[in-house]
Amino acid sequence: MTKNAGYNNGIDALKERVKELNCLYGLTDIIKDPTLSFEKAIQKITALIPPAWQYPEITCARISILGKDFESANFNETKWSQISNIFHNDSKIGVIEVFYLKQKPEMDEGPFLIDERKLIDAIANQIGKFAGEAQLKKELNLAEKTLKSTKTGKELNQQKHDWEVIIGLLIRTDPRTLLRLTRKMIYHLFRYENEEITKLLGNICPVDRDVAESQWCGINMPNPRQNLESLKFIQEQIFKMAKKRIPPEEISDLFHHWLRQDKARPLLLSAQKKGISLVEITDELNRFFNKEDVEEILAMEDRTSIRTALIRRFFTDRLEFVNVAKNFITLEDFVKLLDHVIGPAQGCGKLGGKTSGFFLAEKIIQEEMEHDELLKDISFPKSWYITSDTILNFVHYNDLDEAFHVKYLNPDQIRKDQPFLEQVFKNASFPHEIMEGLRKIIRDLEGKPIIIRSSSLLEDSFGASFSGKYKSLFVSNTGSEEERLYSLIDAIAEVYASTFGPDPIEYRRERGFLDFSEEMGILIQEVVGQKIGNYFMPLFGGVAFSRNEFRWSPRIRRKDGMIRIVPGLGTRAVDRVGKDYPILVSPKRPKLRVNTLVREQIQYSPKYLDAVNLKSGAIETIDAIEFFKEHSEIFPHTNDVISIHNDGRLSIPSVLSDPKESDIIITFSKLFEKTDFLEVMKRILILLEEKIGTPVDVEFASDGEKLQILQCRPQSQSIDRKRKPIPKNIKVKHKLFSTNKHVTTSQIENIEYVVYVQPEAYADLGSIEEMQKIALIVNGLNQKLPKRRFILMGPGRWGSRGDYKLGVPVNYGDINNTTLLVEIAKRKGDYIPELSFGTHFFQDLVEADIRYLPLYPDESDCFLNETLFEQAPNHLSSFLNNFKKYENVVKVMRVSEWIDGGTLSIIMDGDENKALAYLKKADHWSWRLHKTYEIGKNLDADRFGVKALYLIGSTKTGMAGPASDIDLIVHFQGNEEQREHLLDWFEEEGVKISEQNEEKTGIEVENILDVHLVTDEDLKKETSWATHITSQYMTARTIPLDKKTDN
Amino acid sequence: MTKEGYNPFKMAQKQFDRIADMLELDVPERELLRNPLREYHFLIPVKMDDGSTRIFKGFRIQHNDARGPCKGGIRFHPQETEDTVRALSMWMTWKCAVADIPLGGGKGGIICDPHDLSEREQELLCRGWVRQIARDIGPVRDVPAPDVMTSGKHMLWMMDEFQAIHGGQYPGVITGKPVELGGSLGRTEATGYAVIYQLREALKEMDIDITKTKAAIEGFGNVAQYAAELYIEYGGMVVVVSCWDQKDGKAYAYYKEEGIDLEALRKITDRFGTIDKNKAAKMGYERMDGKEWLTKKVDVLIPAALENSITKDNVDKIQSSVKIVVCGANGPVTPDAENTLVENKVIVIPDFLANAGGVVCSYFEQVQSNQNYYWTKEEVLGKLDNKITDAFYKVWELAQKKKLRVSDAGYMIAIQRVAEACKMRGWV
Repeated sequence: MTKNAGYNNGIDALKERVKELNCLYGLTDIIKDPTLSFEKAIQKITALIPPAWQYPEITCARISILGKDFESANFNETKWSQISNIFHNDSKIGVIEVFYLKQKPEMDEGPFLIDERKLIDAIANQIGKFAGEAQLKKELNLAEKTLKSTKTGKELNQQKHDWEVIIGLLIRTDPRTLLRLTRKMIYHLFRYENEEITKLLGNICPVDRDVAESQWCGINMPNPRQNLESLKFIQEQIFKMAKKRIPPEEISDLFHHWLRQDKARPLLLSAQKKGISLVEITDELNRFFNKEDVEEILAMEDRTSIRTALIRRFFTDRLEFVNVAKNFITLEDFVKLLDHVIGPAQGCGKLGGKTSGFFLAEKIIQEEMEHDELLKDISFPKSWYITSDTILNFVHYNDLDEAFHVKYLNPDQIRKDQPFLEQVFKNASFPHEIMEGLRKIIRDLEGKPIIIRSSSLLEDSFGASFSGKYKSLFVSNTGSEEERLYSLIDAIAEVYASTFGPDPIEYRRERGFLDFSEEMGILIQEVVGQKIGNYFMPLFGGVAFSRNEFRWSPRIRRKDGMIRIVPGLGTRAVDRVGKDYPILVSPKRPKLRVNTLVREQIQYSPKYLDAVNLKSGAIETIDAIEFFKEHSEIFPHTNDVISIHNDGRLSIPSVLSDPKESDIIITFSKLFEKTDFLEVMKRILILLEEKIGTPVDVEFASDGEKLQILQCRPQSQSIDRKRKPIPKNIKVKHKLFSTNKHVTTSQIENIEYVVYVQPEAYADLGSIEEMQKIALIVNGLNQKLPKRRFILMGPGRWGSRGDYKLGVPVNYGDINNTTLLVEIAKRKGDYIPELSFGTHFFQDLVEADIRYLPLYPDESDCFLNETLFEQAPNHLSSFLNNFKKYENVVKVMRVSEWIDGGTLSIIMDGDENKALAYLKKADHWSWRLHKTYEIGKNLDADRFGVKALYLIGSTKTGMAGPASDIDLIVHFQGNEEQREHLLDWFEEEGVKISEQNEEKTGIEVENILDVHLVTDEDLKKETSWATHITSQYMTARTIPLDKKTDN
Repeated sequence: MTKEGYNPFKMAQKQFDRIADMLELDVPERELLRNPLREYHFLIPVKMDDGSTRIFKGFRIQHNDARGPCKGGIRFHPQETEDTVRALSMWMTWKCAVADIPLGGGKGGIICDPHDLSEREQELLCRGWVRQIARDIGPVRDVPAPDVMTSGKHMLWMMDEFQAIHGGQYPGVITGKPVELGGSLGRTEATGYAVIYQLREALKEMDIDITKTKAAIEGFGNVAQYAAELYIEYGGMVVVVSCWDQKDGKAYAYYKEEGIDLEALRKITDRFGTIDKNKAAKMGYERMDGKEWLTKKVDVLIPAALENSITKDNVDKIQSSVKIVVCGANGPVTPDAENTLVENKVIVIPDFLANAGGVVCSYFEQVQSNQNYYWTKEEVLGKLDNKITDAFYKVWELAQKKKLRVSDAGYMIAIQRVAEACKMRGWV
C-alpha cells in the first residue's frame, strides 16, 4: 500500500509502529538474555530488523561491529539503503545497514520512513550500549557472584530493568504508545496507591477546582490544556511510583502483556473505521489471526470494542442486538463468517436483518450445545451471505439506476412496471468479482437445493416486519456448474427486483420508510432434507414462537409458546396457505392439543406438503398422504409424522402397520410423544428468548435425524404482531369495551360495523329453529358487510354444536369475513359460562388471521359500553330483508354514527394482557373515504345516467392529507343534459364537502371533488382516465351506488 | 320478566304428555315416566398435569329401567345442563322400547371441555367418573356408550376402571368399543341399513315397487352412504345426495337424473363425506345449493344429515311426487313441517324409529360382550334386519289400525311398552 493511499487514515502508520515495537521489544529480550553470547545476540538482532521495516519481504540488514559482519538471511547489497553508526563512549564501533531489494516509492528518506530512521538510530544506540556492557560484563562476571550478597537495593535499582529500556526507546520512537502504557499503568497503580495518583492527576485534570493552576471559571469553560512537558513529567512520576511499589518482574510482565495487547490496535482501529471495505477488514482480521496469539491475549475492553465494532459493521447498529451479540460472536466467528461473505471488495455493505438474527441464534445455541446434552444434535445449514451493497453494485453495473426512483412512482404505476423490471433484472449481469464469489457458493453447496432468502436492512433497523414482503426463492441446484450458477444468479436478481415491487413499497410508504435507502442483503442456505423420488424435502419443517399469540385454551399461557409444523418444506407453516392446516402445538403444554376429537384431528391435519421438484427446479405442492403412502418404506422416520386411522381411532404406526394399505393422517404424534423434539424446541425457545431478551420466532427443519435451525428473529417482527401501547385518555363514552383476560397481541383498525348478538335476547329465543335463524342472519351479514371491516360480538360459544343455547350455531363459513370474534360470558344465575376460545374452528381462525377475544362483563375490570349499543340505530334490515322480527336479537351498528365518520380501533396487548376497543375520530383520509361513500349513497345514478363510480388518488391509497382533493371517476352513460345535471350535482356536493373540510381543518380547498367522466367510448379507446378502470394494474376502488336500480 | 327460553326437557315432557293423553295413562304412570327414575350427581377430582387439582361435575341420569338395563351415551360438554341430559335419557327409553330391545334409557356426562384437557387428564376424568358410579352401572344395570365429544378411547378407559373395581372381565359394561376389544362388526352399516330395511317394508306396504323409485338423500356421511348403498342394491335410484363442503363453508347438493354412481362418488369423497366438487362436475353431476336437495322430483326423501332440515319454510318446495320421508338424522323434520307433510299424505318415518339401527347394534354388541362370543358381520346385519323389520311392523300396523301418523304410533308403542313393564313389575 502506498503512503498516499494508506497513511491518511493512520492505520498503516500504526501497523508500522507495532512492527517497530516488536523489534524493540525483541531487542531488549536479546540484550537482557544472559545466556546469549555477544555474537549470537548481534546475529539475532540482525534478524529482527527486516520485519520491522515497511516491506519486510524485500528488506535485509547487516550489522558490522567490532570487525565482524552479521547479515540477515536474504542479504544483498543494493542502492536503496539506510545507515546508522554505532557508537560507544563517543567512538564509532560499528554500523547498521538496511537495504531494500527492490525499488520502492519515495518516502521521507529515499524509500524509507522517518520512523524507520528513528528506529535504526535507536537500535544503533542500544547496540552501542550493549557492546559496552558486554565488555563490562566480561570483567564483572567473576566478581558478580561474590558481590551479589553485599549489593544494596540501591545498586540493584541502578541497573536498568528491561521495561525501563523499553520506556527509553519509546520516548524516542513512539511517544503515543508510551502514553497508552502510562495510562494503563495509572489504572494499574490505582490498586496500590490512589491518593498520590489522584493528586498527580489533579494536576492534569483538576477535579478539585480549587487546586487548579489555571484560571478556570465555570462549568461551561473547556478544561485548561496541559502542555506536553507536564505530561512528560507525569509520565516520569508514574513510572517512578510504579518502580517504587511494584516488583520489577511484575512490571516486566505487565509491559509484556500490554505490548502484546497492543498488537490488536490496527484491528481495533480498522474495525472502528467507518465504511471500511470488505477486503480491508477481511485482511486485517486474517492478519490478526495469523499471529501466534489469538483473541485471548486481548484486553477485555479491546476485545469487546472490536467485537462491537465488527457487529456494527456487518450486522446492525441496533443497540439491543449489539449488546447481546457481543457476548456470543467471537472474532474467530467473524473470520469464519467472512470466509462465506460475498460482496464488492471495496464495498461496505452489511448482511441484513435475517442473517444477523440467524447468525446470532447459531452462536447462542452453539455455546449452549457445549454443555447441554439435549441440544447436541442441533445443526445449522451451510450458509453464504451476500452483502447489502451488492445490489447497488449490481444496479450501477447494469445502469439500472432508475430502479431506485420506482418507489416514488404512483402505486398503480409500480404494479404495472414490476413484471418488466423483474425481467430487466433477470437479464442483467453481475460484476466479475461477484460472479466468482457466487461460483464458490455453487461449488460449496453442490448436490443440495438451495434457498435464497432476502435479508433486508430495513427489517433490521426499524424492527418492522417485512416477512413475506420480499421474496425467498428455492433453486434446485441441479445440472452443470454453469447451469447451477445461472439459476442462482437468476434467483438473486429476482429477489433484488422484489425490493422494488409494489407490495413492499406500499408497506414502506404506509410506515414512513419510503425514503430509507433500501439495501438488500441475501442469505443463501442449503436446503435440509433428502431426495425421495424426484423430490427433495425435509421430513418436516416449521416455525416456533416463544410467545403463543393464538391460545386455544385458557390453560395455555402466552409464554407457553407455539409451534406450527408441517411435513416437507416449512413454507406451508411459515405462511398461511388457506384450505390446509399446519399442526399447532405448544412446546410447554404439548398435551393440550388444539384438536382433541378424532374428527377434528383429521379435519385440521395437513393434507399437502411442499417439496423441491429436482427435475423442474420448482417448489411443488403435492398430496402428502399419497406421498407418504408411496414412499413410507424409503422415507426414513415417516412414522414420526403419520398416524393410522382405524375404527374411529388414531394410533401411532407399529412395526406391523402398513401405511400403504392404511388410512393415514398426519399428526406428528410419534414425534411429539416419543422423541425429544418438543423438549428441544422448548429449550431453544427459552434459551433464545432469555439471551436475546425478547420473544423470538425460529424456523426449523429436520430430515428426521437432525434438527436444523434455519432462521431466528424477534417475534414482534413476525406477522403483524408488533405490540402497540393501549391508548390512554380515551373518554369513557368513546370506549366500546375493555378487558384484561386472555388477551393476545393484535391491532385491528378501521372497523366500520359492529354486529352484536344480544345475549339476553338470544337466551330467550324459544326454539332451536329460531337460534338457527340467528346463525342464518350472521351468515347473511358476513356476506353483505364490507369484508374485514366488521366485528362480531355475541354470547357464549360461537359455533356451538348440540346445545344451541350456548351460542350461535355458526360454521366457519358463516363468519369468515369478520376480523374479530368476541365471545361474551355473562353471568347466568350463579355461574359464568365457559367460553369456547373459538375451538370449533380455531385453526380456521388462525389461518385466516381472524382474531378472538373473550369478554367477561360481570368482572370488575371488564367494561362493556352497553349504552352505546342501546343508543345506536339498528341497520339489520338495510342489509337483510325478512328478519325484522329478530332486530331485538341481532343489532348491526355503524361506527360512523357513534362518532362522526370515525372508525373503531381495537388494540390488544398480550404482554400487558389488556385490550381496548375505542372509537377513533376520522382522520383526513377516512373522513374523505366516508364522504365518498356518502356520495355513492346519495348519487341518483339512474337519473344522471351513471353506470359506476370509482375512487382513485390519495383518498384511495390512504395518503390523503387535510388539503387533498377526492379524485373520482364516473362511468357515464347518459346524454348531454344528464351530464350537465350530474356535473352540477357534483359541484354542489363538492362545495358542501369543502366547507365541512374547512370547518374541520381550517384549510380552504377549492372544489374538493375532482370528478372525471369516462364514457363507454373512452373505455374502448382506453383514454388516460379510463385506464384506471380497465387496466389490471390500476386498482380503482369501486364505490357502491345505493340508488342504482339495475344491480 | 325474562321469557322462559328453550328447555329441551320441558319439550320432551310436553311431547310425552300428549302421547300419554292419547294412551290414557293414569297419574302415577305419568308421574313415573315423565321424570327420571334416578339421578346421580357427583364430583370428580382430577389431578391435572400441572399438579393442581380440579373438581369436575359428573352425572348419570337413569330415566327408566323397567324393560332392562339403562342404555345411553356419556357426553363431555362444557355447558351441560341437567335438563338436556334428562330429555336425552327419556328419549333413549322410548328409542329402545320402540325398537323392542330389552333396555331402558339413560344418559350421562361430565361438564368439561376436552379441548382444555390433555389425554392423561381425560383418562383420569373417565376413570374418576366410573369410580363414582361403578356400583350403579354395569352390564345388568346401566350401559354407557360414546356420545358428544367422547369416543371408543374413553369407553375403554371406563371399561378398564370398571373391571378393576369389580375384579373381572365385564366387556358388556359399555358399548362403542373398538372391534378388537369387544366391539361389534356391522356397526358402521347398521344405521344406514336399518333406514332402508324400514323403507323397503314401508314401500311394500304402500304397494310401491322399490325398483321403480327415486330417492334424494340429504348428506353423504356414514348413514347416508350406507342407506344409499342398500337402497341401490334393492334396485332404487338415488338422484340427489348432498354434503357439507368444508372448504367453501357451505352445503352442496349433487344431482344426476340417471342416478348417482355410488362407488364412483365414494372415490371422490373424503372421510367426512365431502364430495370433491370439481371432480363431481367432471363426472356430470349438477351442483346445487345444499338447500335444494329436496326440490327434485323423487319418491323418497331421506334427510340423513342435520337437525331441522325440513321446516315450515321449505316444506312447500317438496314435490308432490314424494310419498315417504325416512328420517335418518336426529330431528330433521320440525313438527310444523311434519304436520304439512302428513296433510299432504306423505308418510314420515320418525327419527327415533328410522335411525334405531344404531342402538340395536349397540344392544347386539352388549349381548355379544356378555356372552363373550362374537358374531360375523352377516350375522349381525341379519339379526338387525329381523329386529328392525319387526319393530317397524308393530308401529306400522298400529298406525294403520288407528289412523295415526307413524311418529305418534311409534311413541305410543314405546310408551305403552314401558308403562306396561312398570305395571308388570308392580311399580304402578
